[in-house]
Amino acid sequence: MAQGLNRFTKGWWFVAPGLILMVVVVGTPLVMALRYSLHEVFLYRFRHQVFVGLANYREAFDDPLFLRSLQTTAIFTVGCLAIVLVAGLLVAFLLNSKAVRGRSTWLALFMVPFVMTPVVAGIAWRLFIWQPEFGVVNQVAGLFGLPEIYWLLERETALLATIIANSWHLIPLAILVFYAALTTIPEELYEACRVDGGTAWQTLRHVVLPMLQPHILFVSIIIMTSAFREFDMIWALTGGGPGRATTVLSILAYNRGIAAQDMGMANTIAFTMFIIMATVAWLYITIYRRREQAA
Amino acid sequence: MNGNHRLRRRFDVGLIHLGLAVWLVISLLPPLMLLAASLNRTAIFRSPVDLLLLRDFTLDNFGEAFDRGDFWFFFTNSLIISTAAVVITLVVCVPLAYGLTKLGGRTRSTLSFAVLAMRFIPYVVLALPLFLIFVNLGLSGSRFGLLLAHLAIHIPFATWMMVGFFDTVPREIEEAAIVDGCGPWRLFWNINLPVVRSGVTALAILVFIISWNEYLFALFLAGANAQPLTVGITRFLGGVEAGAQYGVIAAYAVLIVAPVILFALTANRYIVSGMTAGAVKG
Repeated sequence: MAQGLNRFTKGWWFVAPGLILMVVVVGTPLVMALRYSLHEVFLYRFRHQVFVGLANYREAFDDPLFLRSLQTTAIFTVGCLAIVLVAGLLVAFLLNSKAVRGRSTWLALFMVPFVMTPVVAGIAWRLFIWQPEFGVVNQVAGLFGLPEIYWLLERETALLATIIANSWHLIPLAILVFYAALTTIPEELYEACRVDGGTAWQTLRHVVLPMLQPHILFVSIIIMTSAFREFDMIWALTGGGPGRATTVLSILAYNRGIAAQDMGMANTIAFTMFIIMATVAWLYITIYRRREQAA
Repeated sequence: MNGNHRLRRRFDVGLIHLGLAVWLVISLLPPLMLLAASLNRTAIFRSPVDLLLLRDFTLDNFGEAFDRGDFWFFFTNSLIISTAAVVITLVVCVPLAYGLTKLGGRTRSTLSFAVLAMRFIPYVVLALPLFLIFVNLGLSGSRFGLLLAHLAIHIPFATWMMVGFFDTVPREIEEAAIVDGCGPWRLFWNINLPVVRSGVTALAILVFIISWNEYLFALFLAGANAQPLTVGITRFLGGVEAGAQYGVIAAYAVLIVAPVILFALTANRYIVSGMTAGAVKG
């Protein structure tokens, strides 16, 4: 049907301009990133480029700093994913209960962290939430007699603090998708479970979570890709420090490329990130397609 | 037994609202602290309670943020880039998404997944080569260059989202229109577009917010002339942090986030529909 419709709709004419622009603005830099990653390129004499093959990649994977950043990025990504999924599901469940009035108002207010400029949010968290003496967290902890923690200044806590702040920024997306999905589950289904003597946990485990499964998959992929490439929030919170404790790959690439002017290595790091993300995206799309065919 | 049950229910309802209230406080605390700090004379060495109660109220911080922070220069750049990004994204991506839904099954799904895959690209892998390309082309430090970089984020996002909206247009309307001799352009403009109007609004709002909030590309590509507000505040922060005038920084921050937060609260309906449109299909 769609094929036949094309004769009347001239689909390609509508697609072509956008597709060309997309190839220019996305395709060109991608190809160039691969090219630069195979060359020795320094900013201060960038016209002098020497082809070095995979030498940059070999050097990167021999570099403890790169490996450490890879690990930091993985911890950051998985940490954000875990917090966002749990908190998002929890809030969406609460919001979906019958007793709650004015749900759209709650939802609107819950969206604020998501639309708030990440750099500014990072500054707000740094100056007023994590700040050691007068920040909200230590003030509240002080009420319970807990010791003052220098959240962003200690190697042990800095990464955790950035994970929490970044999760705060991403949770609204999860709330939104999960809540929208929950509203589509008919009330009768819960009733039926109750009549059959199912406990709340059983209902959740055997009825609600299976129905939410595609949404959990979708939220996971969006959160993972977003956390994996995060720069703004971490940059504003710690700038990658203390030491290298929060230097994720995005920040390392910036440091190498702009600060240290080694564009070859910076592009190598960035392109490695691209390969990792492309693999994840390919996995997701494969699962997505299989589901679509099964449906 | 019955009374006990009712008590139990009331307890549950109370717990649910308590949970939501706690989450609301956590969600709003960082922006509220910024607002509170911006309205106090000395924001440093003050407990959050003092700040929130406005014990030391003043509006001077805003005046100082405008004066010393070179606010209007950065604001103009942000506004021009964000507005241009919205216009170009709408003009290009709405037809692109529409066309995609009209292509044959295999072509459509291949192209859709190519678009989807591009949403996953880490931004540094675009920003680094763009930096060098722009130096070569003489585009570095120009608003136009920064705008092109923003489009690399917007086009995949916008196309994926609009495909979700165009998929909701009933086929019967289109077939009836074709039988009535409706041409391809009118089929798009007069038949499809009115149905997805709220989707287009949602797209415009989201693209504006994403561009307004963008920082990474600006840091790499803005040079000295095209810096938006997000770069402005980090530079301002670097300049005054030694003096620790948190109140002025907070005022600057409030001026940046106020438009997007007000936008989000008043146009929430559109943002919700936009963010869920491309969420999960089938």
